[in-house]
Amino acid sequence: MSSLDFSPRAYVESTIIMTTVRVVSPFVFTFGLFVMFHGAESAGGGFQGGAIVASSIIMLAFAFGIEPTREWLDDDFVRVVIGGGASTFALIGLGALAFGGPFLNYSAYGISHGVKYGIELVELGIGAIVAGVIVSLFMNLAAGFSDEETEGDEA
Amino acid sequence: MTPLEYLVSGLVLAGVFFGFVAVVGIIRLPDLYTRAHATSKSDTLGTVLSLGGVVLLFGADVAAVKTALLLLFMFITNPTAAHAITRAAYEQGIEPWTADDGGGD
Repeated sequence: MSSLDFSPRAYVESTIIMTTVRVVSPFVFTFGLFVMFHGAESAGGGFQGGAIVASSIIMLAFAFGIEPTREWLDDDFVRVVIGGGASTFALIGLGALAFGGPFLNYSAYGISHGVKYGIELVELGIGAIVAGVIVSLFMNLAAGFSDEETEGDEA
Repeated sequence: MTPLEYLVSGLVLAGVFFGFVAVVGIIRLPDLYTRAHATSKSDTLGTVLSLGGVVLLFGADVAAVKTALLLLFMFITNPTAAHAITRAAYEQGIEPWTADDGGGD
């Protein structure tokens, strides 16, 4: 927890922000998934949904402090989410090749509504990538730079 | 026009008015705290009034329920966001504007 020391004042929680985030963040997370699953047939998609899911995590970090959130959601888990999203996309795309169709041609799977399920799984993969990357970018920015790192590093 | 249309127009016009008040506030007021004060209140009210008009226009429909939920979350999140911004500014040590700072331009 020594990385908290760089800030001039220690973080003090606000009851108003904590209560609001506690009420709102599950809805935001659900809405992000809703947007992701809607990518197949109406407005929405993995990119927007992933950004909304990531914003629910960032909201938690704002309300409860960044270091506690980093401990709760460790970097390895975020890496697994990003990698899992990418491999879902790749597996669905290459799976179509295995069934004898072109890359990402869902109808090659030969199951009913295969196109819809295929698009939804790919959107979910994209959403996982986007959410994971946004959360890790935020966490990296929030960590700041220590003096040793920035010294002599001026480009 | 039907009475419902009068009601909806009134609500949307009132919403536009409060949105305009928020814009005037953000341009004319001197510092972050007074600007947050102007926008968080009148912007929330403006949005909520406009969305209220939209809910009435949709009638008994799924879209009306979705808009009402949007309205509810606007009511919760908008003031909290303003609170978070001003709180962060205060913790960074930004002094509130006082009359001693002069009338400005």
